[in-house]
Amino acid sequence: MNNDFVEGAGVAPKMLLEALQATIVGQETTLEALLHALIAGGHILLEGPPGLAKTLACRALASAAAGSFKRIQFTPDLLPSDIVGTRIFDQRAGAFATVLGPIFANIVLADEINRAPAKVQSALLEGMQEYQVTIGPETHRLPNPFIVTATMNPLDSEGTYALPLAQMDRFLVKVLVGYPSVEEEGRILERFGGEMPALPRDVVSMADVMRWRAQARAVYVEPRLSRYIVDLVSATRAPHEYIDRGASPRATLALAALARARAYVDGRSFALPDDVRAAAPAVLRHRLAFNYKTITDRVEPEALIGGIVASVTAP
Amino acid sequence: MSVDPATLRVGETLKLRITARLDENLLQLDNVTLPDLAGFESLGDERRCGTNGRGTLCEETMTLTPTEPGDHTIAPTTLEAIDGRTGKPSRFATNPVVVHVTPAPQANPFALWLLESLGILVFVAVAGYALLWGFRRRRLPPLEPAQPERKPVMLPVDRLAQLLASLAQDPSRVRVLAVREELRRRAGARDGETLGDLVARRAAGGDTALTDALGAIEAPAFVDEPYVLDEVKRALPILERLLTAAAASP
Repeated sequence: MNNDFVEGAGVAPKMLLEALQATIVGQETTLEALLHALIAGGHILLEGPPGLAKTLACRALASAAAGSFKRIQFTPDLLPSDIVGTRIFDQRAGAFATVLGPIFANIVLADEINRAPAKVQSALLEGMQEYQVTIGPETHRLPNPFIVTATMNPLDSEGTYALPLAQMDRFLVKVLVGYPSVEEEGRILERFGGEMPALPRDVVSMADVMRWRAQARAVYVEPRLSRYIVDLVSATRAPHEYIDRGASPRATLALAALARARAYVDGRSFALPDDVRAAAPAVLRHRLAFNYKTITDRVEPEALIGGIVASVTAP
Repeated sequence: MSVDPATLRVGETLKLRITARLDENLLQLDNVTLPDLAGFESLGDERRCGTNGRGTLCEETMTLTPTEPGDHTIAPTTLEAIDGRTGKPSRFATNPVVVHVTPAPQANPFALWLLESLGILVFVAVAGYALLWGFRRRRLPPLEPAQPERKPVMLPVDRLAQLLASLAQDPSRVRVLAVREELRRRAGARDGETLGDLVARRAAGGDTALTDALGAIEAPAFVDEPYVLDEVKRALPILERLLTAAAASP
């Protein structure tokens, strides 16, 4: 890949990010994670209390990138067919017809994903991994690009179901969405206190996004950096007092993809140790199985992840 | 003790790796007697020690470049270490290694061009300085009696200047990594610390020239091999500014 070409290409993703920042006050980490996941071709899990613009951020991203957007509110009585679609008997034609579900969109918001039981959450699995959905005897391709952004509320655990580990692993990143600062909350009041501002529209196209993805995949990862990525992920699998299970090789691929996306947005044709270091917590935090001792000893999982990341020598 | 590669040409680089693996948990490695490295120039070294609860692994890696052809035997190295449990010193000796060095190939045209350009630049700078000095001297009062001659002092920038000169001559990844290691050493980087962590920690220090230099050397250190030369060209002026700033500071 030509260095100068990437430097020019890095401008457009930043335009998209600026458009999102013009709509959402604060939440820089969330917006950057959305952009990086969009470019890395991964799905994103947002965890945070209600009212922090998680849905608005996803809507704004879909609108700015000129993509289709669908929102699915996960509830305990939701069925897999409510997500992927179903087959109904057409009496006039005397045959079954397929009705496609809301999963057929570029950006799908699975709101409060842990409110539905595991079988419904698992309905997303095939789509998230294979980018296709099987309804009855037919398999349908999902739109390209296809991104699932799921939200979870960490405060209200009553009536929720734990996400299956297999599904957790399919999210590229998990982002913790925090409360805004006092200054940011003042700006939120100014911007959203009256009429709802319009969402940014068609800042880039889905064809642009596909081109960015191809270019980001070509970002160079130097062998010492590849080794660093492998060492970081395998360090989570070393025997640990508070961790029962470490991250899978899918995390290794995710970390490399996210590091490449960060480098690409920064206008570079090569990744740096800082790209890996910055991406690691979001890639690892939902893939580690922390044991009960983290609760009894009041140990913060984020501190454990930080400790593991800091223990691995960067090149 | 091992070398990689064991056969090379004059001007190329090799890694000399000295590894100490012990069953005990060591507090420190002491009295490392490095081998005689006659016939080699050292481009940098790195020492790492780590324990995993079952033992200790210490590794010293030296980047060397041979200065003359022939078979060079690097004598055994001895390491004296203190056992963390007994507190008594232990001595470890390595095997000797032989390095076969062949004469250097002819210099590449780029290096010649670069040397030639640098020579012209130095000549112009010296001539300009001499003219300016002559002009100023006519206006200055008579010179005071000559001061006693001072002995030359080895400035800390000398090592970096040497490494930068080598990099300008041979813009290869190995030279880039030697410069990067020296810059990180100057900045007080901790083992395995990324640039972002280092800059954040040093934010209060405010040595802009060093921070810029640390940032500039990252690209040639991690870019794809065909672009190393381009990135070295971009980085060199920034790295040279560090030398200028260091020379100007009291």
